[in-house]
Amino acid sequence: MLLDVRNIWVSYKGIQALRDVSLHVNKGEMVALVGSNGAGKSTLLNALSRAVTPQKGQVTFNGRDLGRLAAYQVARQGLLQVPEGRQVLADMSVWENLQLGMLAQGRRPAKYTLEQVYDIFPILQERATQIAGTLSGGQQQMLAIGRALMGAPDILLLDEPSLGLSPLMSDQVFDALIRLNRQGLTILLVEQNAFRALECTQRAYVLDRGKIVIEGASADLMQDQRVIESYLGS
Amino acid sequence: MMSFYYANQPLIDFFLLAVGLGYSQQLALRAGVFSIATAGFSALGAYATAILVTRHGVPVPFAIMIAAFVGIAASYILSVPLARLRGAFQAIATLAFVQVVIALLLYFEAFTGGAIGISGIPRVMNTGWLLLAVLVTIYVIWSINRTSVGRVFSALRQDDSVAASLGIPIKNYYALAFVLSGVIGAVFGSLRSLYVFNIEPIDFGFHAMVASLTVVVLGGRNTLLGPIAGALIMAVLPELARPLAENRGIVNGAILILVITFLPNGVGDELVYWFRRRMRRRNQTTALTPQPHKEDKHVIATD
Repeated sequence: MLLDVRNIWVSYKGIQALRDVSLHVNKGEMVALVGSNGAGKSTLLNALSRAVTPQKGQVTFNGRDLGRLAAYQVARQGLLQVPEGRQVLADMSVWENLQLGMLAQGRRPAKYTLEQVYDIFPILQERATQIAGTLSGGQQQMLAIGRALMGAPDILLLDEPSLGLSPLMSDQVFDALIRLNRQGLTILLVEQNAFRALECTQRAYVLDRGKIVIEGASADLMQDQRVIESYLGS
Repeated sequence: MMSFYYANQPLIDFFLLAVGLGYSQQLALRAGVFSIATAGFSALGAYATAILVTRHGVPVPFAIMIAAFVGIAASYILSVPLARLRGAFQAIATLAFVQVVIALLLYFEAFTGGAIGISGIPRVMNTGWLLLAVLVTIYVIWSINRTSVGRVFSALRQDDSVAASLGIPIKNYYALAFVLSGVIGAVFGSLRSLYVFNIEPIDFGFHAMVASLTVVVLGGRNTLLGPIAGALIMAVLPELARPLAENRGIVNGAILILVITFLPNGVGDELVYWFRRRMRRRNQTTALTPQPHKEDKHVIATD
């Protein structure tokens, strides 16, 4: 088990955003976290990456209790989050963004070289000297993922990678994620588009008002009556 | 050339001092620390130097070095509470720091000379030394910009939560930027005291704070050219506007508003960005293959 989350509680801006949430991600898996707006999906990812601190509960990553580690220390352990909304550093070039990504590597060995990241996202090589803020939305998302890869992730947490992207662009982003997962990268994915998320993952959790209500194999969830009614539509 | 220098020597010297304090101010802002403590650091550096040289006969080079250590110590201590604050709250805290320094200088009369300050400081600084100090400062910042530290500072300014998600220990880098700002501020305060014969608390008050902030706002907060351009405007403008001398405040204010409105990046930064855009366009037309690493070599400041 690469990531083991046990009974965490998080309150955020005075709201109990997560209640007693437990989940786990095995090495090499791609796991989806689906749920409606405000269900606590982003809060859960932020609690794992320590952008917010859980009140109760335990997070074990790579056999190590994340305990009271700060956000940057968690990142250096190899738990890397691609934040919601394509947070590239807009004033810097694509290349500089990627270089900054390497800081999360710390003393661990690299997993992806610059060349490999360019192989996965050729557009980043093409635009290497361009200022990141002038990239299109999809390109910025690719840069955000590429930057995380430069930090040698053991697990990648993705928060709504298709948010605001054209269908074509989000196809490209998801294709890249599926490829990365096949090559062995563990991914925990938050996605509003439940169909898309279930389609490309092996397992999934459904989060509703801060609690995990359904969990199981993604293929099974796609047949689940409750999931179909609430999240997949007709 | 030489006659221009002799006619304008004091102007040039104060320009160089303003550039140095501008870099102190810029380093903090560039890393996203909204500090206006530069005036306070320069007061500490100036008083440390003046007291050591006039009362204890400490040789000038040692006095400058001790002033630098005073700047490091003060900024390091101040960086601890400051790292817990953000944005406007940092500005308020550093404003308070400057006011506290001034109040202490006024209060400990026996030690600091109170409102009268300290006089009879030997004038050992000249244009050459000041120029050397500015060049060393530029070299230090240029070296920082070439390493990942410069990129980290820029990342912190743009978004500190993204920086944390990239594995950057933000508090340590905030402290580093602040200490660099503190040591440069203290050194240039020290050099100033060795230039002006006498110092008094009012030299380092609200006016000094606004002055070094203005240098960066006018010139730009990201590139090495920024404080030079800003200090140049601040030095030349009062001379050009001499017929309007009675309304100098109005002229300065108007210029500030115009620059903020139309060149929000500052005159120096805008110039550098414009030049970089040109270079990039030229690269794209001459070579279709991108050259990602070339950029880092010829650009003065990252970002």
